[in-house]
Amino acid sequence: GLLMVAFLVSHMLLTKEGVTSLPICPKGSVNCQLSLEELFDRAVKLSHYIHFLSSEMFNEFDERYAQGRGFIAKAVNSCHTASLTTPEDKEQAQQIHHEDLLNLILGVLRSWNDPLIHLVSEVQRIKEAPETILWKAVEIEEQNKRLLEGMEKIVGRIHSGEVENDIYTPWEGLPSLQLADEDSRLFAFYNLLHCLRRDSHKIDNYLKVLKCRLIHDNNC
Amino acid sequence: DVLQWPQISKCRSPEMETFSCFWTAGNFYNLTVPRILQLLYKKSNEEDWKECPDYITSGQNSCYFNASYTSVWTPYCVQLASKNEVYDKKCFSVDEIVLPDPPVHLNWTLLNTSQTGIHGDIQVRWDPPPTADVRKGWITLEYELQYKEVNETKWKELKPRLSTMAPLYSLKTARDYEIRIRSRQRTSEKFGEFSEILYVSFSQIGIGCDHCTEEVEFPWFLVVVFGVCGLAVTVISIMLSKQPRLKMLIFPPVPVPKIKGIDPDLLKKGKLDEVNSILACHDNYKTQLYSDDLWVEFIELDIEDPDEKNRASDTDKLLGEDHLKSQSCLGGKDDDSGRASCCEPDIPETDFSASDTCDATSDSDQFKKATEKEEDLLCLDRQDNDESLPSLVNTDPLHRHRNIQPENSHLWAPFGDSTESPRPSVHIQISNQNSLTSTDFYAQVSDITPAGRVVLSPGQKSKLGRAQRESCTEQNFTMDNTYFCEADVKKCIAVTSHEENEPRIQEQGYNEDGYFTTESLTTTVANLGTSTAAPPSSEMPVADYTSIHIVQSPQGLVLNATALPVPDKEFNVSCGYVSTDQLNKIMP
Repeated sequence: GLLMVAFLVSHMLLTKEGVTSLPICPKGSVNCQLSLEELFDRAVKLSHYIHFLSSEMFNEFDERYAQGRGFIAKAVNSCHTASLTTPEDKEQAQQIHHEDLLNLILGVLRSWNDPLIHLVSEVQRIKEAPETILWKAVEIEEQNKRLLEGMEKIVGRIHSGEVENDIYTPWEGLPSLQLADEDSRLFAFYNLLHCLRRDSHKIDNYLKVLKCRLIHDNNC
Repeated sequence: DVLQWPQISKCRSPEMETFSCFWTAGNFYNLTVPRILQLLYKKSNEEDWKECPDYITSGQNSCYFNASYTSVWTPYCVQLASKNEVYDKKCFSVDEIVLPDPPVHLNWTLLNTSQTGIHGDIQVRWDPPPTADVRKGWITLEYELQYKEVNETKWKELKPRLSTMAPLYSLKTARDYEIRIRSRQRTSEKFGEFSEILYVSFSQIGIGCDHCTEEVEFPWFLVVVFGVCGLAVTVISIMLSKQPRLKMLIFPPVPVPKIKGIDPDLLKKGKLDEVNSILACHDNYKTQLYSDDLWVEFIELDIEDPDEKNRASDTDKLLGEDHLKSQSCLGGKDDDSGRASCCEPDIPETDFSASDTCDATSDSDQFKKATEKEEDLLCLDRQDNDESLPSLVNTDPLHRHRNIQPENSHLWAPFGDSTESPRPSVHIQISNQNSLTSTDFYAQVSDITPAGRVVLSPGQKSKLGRAQRESCTEQNFTMDNTYFCEADVKKCIAVTSHEENEPRIQEQGYNEDGYFTTESLTTTVANLGTSTAAPPSSEMPVADYTSIHIVQSPQGLVLNATALPVPDKEFNVSCGYVSTDQLNKIMP
């Protein structure tokens, strides 16, 4: 009985966040293919979930470690993905070709693979890191991988040709996460989480734009 | 007036395409002159501060950045400055400051009404804010609806939803309602402004009923009353039910204290003796807890080995002889509880007494070793062991006794050797007993039944012979001593009754389940005395013990014989003690 309740609760929570995976393809089916609409739906749910988690994680970190340290004033920094020229307003987003936009999305997701892995390991070394932050870091890293897989599937569907893999920015911020000085180290975390929140918002927005454009013909 | 610096109050983007910043001028100095204050901005990747492109569109003390100036995910910094100094500075990115406009075009439609017409359901619809480009998916909004009755103060909220319609159920048709909606970007926390209020009135569409004003409130009172009654009935029925399982489930039994190894049923059924036997081996056992007969506690219960019965007389313990404490079994036990065979089968010190009784000389020696106190107690002053034996009038019983004595001593010889030295007092006792001067105050336990019941022996008359030293007439029943010397009394009747006692001697010598200790000897004497004290009869019950009336240490004990009602004439008050049987008769 208790297990049932726990299962139901977790199911409810997951559906609320939009990451339930409803198997449309029955098990064992060979040629079953999800529709593009279904793929986009799942991708949008994942991206929304990731952005929600990173937003919360940033808020928690800000509350706990950044108060009184003046981080906000210094937060006008650049993220490692700034080198990728992503659309900065609606007009640019509407004008960019969907394949290019998809590739850009993939590039950003790939660029975050490495930092997320290190975030998980390094955030555990923060003194008295709250369990919620740790859990969220792990969850984001996992969902990011899933979103990447989904996006690659979508790209494979839409782009019949070769999928470009070269859009990618390496991340070199690991040493800053391991600084001995606690203030500097926490500031590095602050920046990383800030960038994560921003980039996850970007991806969420791009995917919604793409979905409305490709699936609903600009009529969401 | 508090001095207020000019400060940037907020920066806001309604649709993530443009944004505006607002500030307050403060009252620091005369800033009513326009354009004194400037808003400068800078993108993160730029070096120079630029001035606000539009001071007008958003109103006074505002700066409006249109789409061309807006880069959504780019960090901005704005600062409020005059020519000389900077008053305030803010840094942000546009995606963080999104606050949508309120929804528009609120309307409602009736879904259905209840059968009584008192309640109705409505569906509220609205449109997203026109500025937000929801259709192309550039921004995703969620909406929160609030409603209340017209004369209420507190708004009720519905959960935020993505769709632009919401049902409201169970509205009272007799009342009017107000509805308002606000929106926010889906991943943000802050809501935008509320929309205009929508008024819902059922009477306008002709549904409101005038006679529906009565309110059917939930009958809480009745629910509580019936609930309590039902619960009481259930509880009573459970308590009265004969189903033990149900009863135990609802009213679990309170655990009662338990002693390991003891079945509480034994206690319930009153089988205290069995419990006694079970507990007999526990160190903390005190028979007094379970025994009906307080006398039992002063008796050594020795079930197994008759040879173990040779213990120091409890009389001596009672009389406070310290040297007796050295005796292993008795001396070590201060609480005098009746420990049965759990006592180590120590070398029965009192065996020597029996063996020594054969030797009159040794007795006499030991006799002389006795303390004055003991002598007094044990009537030694009046009697002389040496004299006792040869002075027996009737040598037959003595002879027999003597015959038996060696036999007994044979039995006890092995013990005797080992326990010879440290037991002078016992010997003294024995000698005292030999001289019929010592009397025991308690019964001799002859047997312990398997059920644990103590069987008091009628006593041993084997020592009868020794008791016969003097004629009755020579006896002085001195009352100086606190107890009567049974021996004195016994002597009178010893002659007459020892005949009867003879057969008993033998059986007592061998069959006695009781103990052949000094005490037994004493009790024998006592029995003898008792029996002799009473008029001789074949049915003479042998006195086994007397109740102690007063303990006048160290002089002795006053036996409470006089206090007991005498059922028959067998009881001789002057002896100062009562036989067990008599006592049993007296005290049921």
